[in-house]
Amino acid sequence: MDPVLAEIYSTVLDAAPFVIAGYALLFLVLCAYVVFIMTKLKRTEKKLAALEEHIDELK
Amino acid sequence: MANEKTAGEPKVGGRLDAIAPWALAIGALLATIGFVVNFTVAPLVNGATVSEPAVIGGTLVGNKLLLSQKIFYWHMPVAMASFTALVFTAYYSVRFLMTKRYCYDVRAKLATEISLIFVLCTMVTGEMWTRFEWGVWWTWEPRLTTYFILMLMIFGYFILRNAVEDTERRAVYSSVLGILIFIDVPICFMITRLIPSSVHPVIFRTDSGLSPEMLLPLLLSLFGFLLIAFGLYRLRLRTQLMEDSLVRIQDKLED
Repeated sequence: MDPVLAEIYSTVLDAAPFVIAGYALLFLVLCAYVVFIMTKLKRTEKKLAALEEHIDELK
Repeated sequence: MANEKTAGEPKVGGRLDAIAPWALAIGALLATIGFVVNFTVAPLVNGATVSEPAVIGGTLVGNKLLLSQKIFYWHMPVAMASFTALVFTAYYSVRFLMTKRYCYDVRAKLATEISLIFVLCTMVTGEMWTRFEWGVWWTWEPRLTTYFILMLMIFGYFILRNAVEDTERRAVYSSVLGILIFIDVPICFMITRLIPSSVHPVIFRTDSGLSPEMLLPLLLSLFGFLLIAFGLYRLRLRTQLMEDSLVRIQDKLED
């Protein structure tokens, strides 16, 4: 590679893992939160369905 | 308290809940387009001067080109989303203190939770940049310090909520703390104007120094993450309201 170009792009490859890690970690945090919400939602829906069933039995 | 104050509470499944999944989807799409435009259209910024300039793509380049700045295109939007969520925390906290209605306390708590998620996103992206550019994980730079205080206050908010058992006292204390946290938002936002720092440029001004090619992915990501924050908040609120209804029904059945 041209030495001048090598100097111009010298930090690009070194920075790449940090840029990738930054975006990946942000994505992971958001995904973890979505999973947390969805788990809570599904659990609550299940409990509500069980409760409805219980009420029907009482009737 | 919950039973007495639930008569006028908004119901689950309103119009806002209907548009929440769309907001999430459109937000994710906008953020993704912002990400793609960031790496395809927005140019690399200049770093230190090189010994000899070279012509790249018809442009004379006399500086090192920095890839690390690409983190900024999602870092700043998630920080703005965290600030916006805290505006809602303060609004609902004030509403709770005015009306003493439990529904506002729930909304303030969830807005703070959303803010915490985006604060964490801001922190991890910022850390990656700091680690590469300065070779350290942390430095007491003004914006970093005020934002760190903001994060600690949000942690304190949830610690306080878990520490106080009485519902009404918990809601009052956390509402006051929610308003106090909000006070740090303008300080955090304005600190780069009050104490100029070479690390955090002033973005919101008539001439931000960003070219249209750089402004486009930034704005796309900004609107994208604001929509994602809104969608997540509504989804979380829906879950919380359903949980609260479930507890109320169970209590009634036990009675």
